[in-house]
Amino acid sequence: MEHNKDVELWVNLYAANLLSWASHKVSDPELAKDLVQDTFLAAFEKIDSFKGKSSPKTWLFSILNYKIIDHYRAKVKQPVKLDNQLFSSFFNEDGDWYSQKRPKDWHEEENHLLDDSDFQAVLKKCMDNLPEQWNACVKLKYLMQKKGEEICQELDITPTNFWQIMHRAKLNLRDCVETNWFNN
Amino acid sequence: MHILFLSCLKATELIEKKLHFKLSATEKLQLKVHKMMCSACTNYEKQDILIEKSFEKQAQINDPQIDLEQFKKSVVDKLNN
Repeated sequence: MEHNKDVELWVNLYAANLLSWASHKVSDPELAKDLVQDTFLAAFEKIDSFKGKSSPKTWLFSILNYKIIDHYRAKVKQPVKLDNQLFSSFFNEDGDWYSQKRPKDWHEEENHLLDDSDFQAVLKKCMDNLPEQWNACVKLKYLMQKKGEEICQELDITPTNFWQIMHRAKLNLRDCVETNWFNN
Repeated sequence: MHILFLSCLKATELIEKKLHFKLSATEKLQLKVHKMMCSACTNYEKQDILIEKSFEKQAQINDPQIDLEQFKKSVVDKLNN
């Protein structure tokens, strides 16, 4: 019962911090709520292992981070399938761009695009259209702000596999953005 | 094919690899030579980096449309069950 009160207090103190962290890591409010709730339930169950060595806040964040990574890891877990079919829609047999797929000059200031919320929205939409496994890979990399090597360890994939997935994801994304942003 | 000449497919691979890992000296040179001759891959690299930066930026945007008090209440209810 006493433990209940501890965790209840933590809910009141830290729910806001944990939620805002989780929502920008997973960009899905419902999923963020689930992850934070699971975090508190796990904290309650494991409270005996929390010996006050770190602050409750730090401890809760470490549980939450583990849950976020686990969420993406589960998605990438299936064997990485990298078919070369995608390439044949961009490149001819010699590996040169098809003329209609050649990246055009966007004629835009980089900073201008970075601050353009419509552009960011298009990019987000394109990202949601990626195969789930690639999407999880991209999200892990950027949302968790991990370095290439760390992601590979986290996901148990080889570095080559990692940048090959990123390469395919980016080819798709760039093309999707060019089609949906610049041709409208 | 001469060792210095890359296809665009290979060049875009190296552009991506470069963002995450270190390229070998040969790879660096190959990419440089390729970009000198290929405006499409030069555009590609610029845009690839822009997309990369956008990801980083999106990671910082924060918009939880969540009813905090209601959420707290539901977690506390769960804890007491």
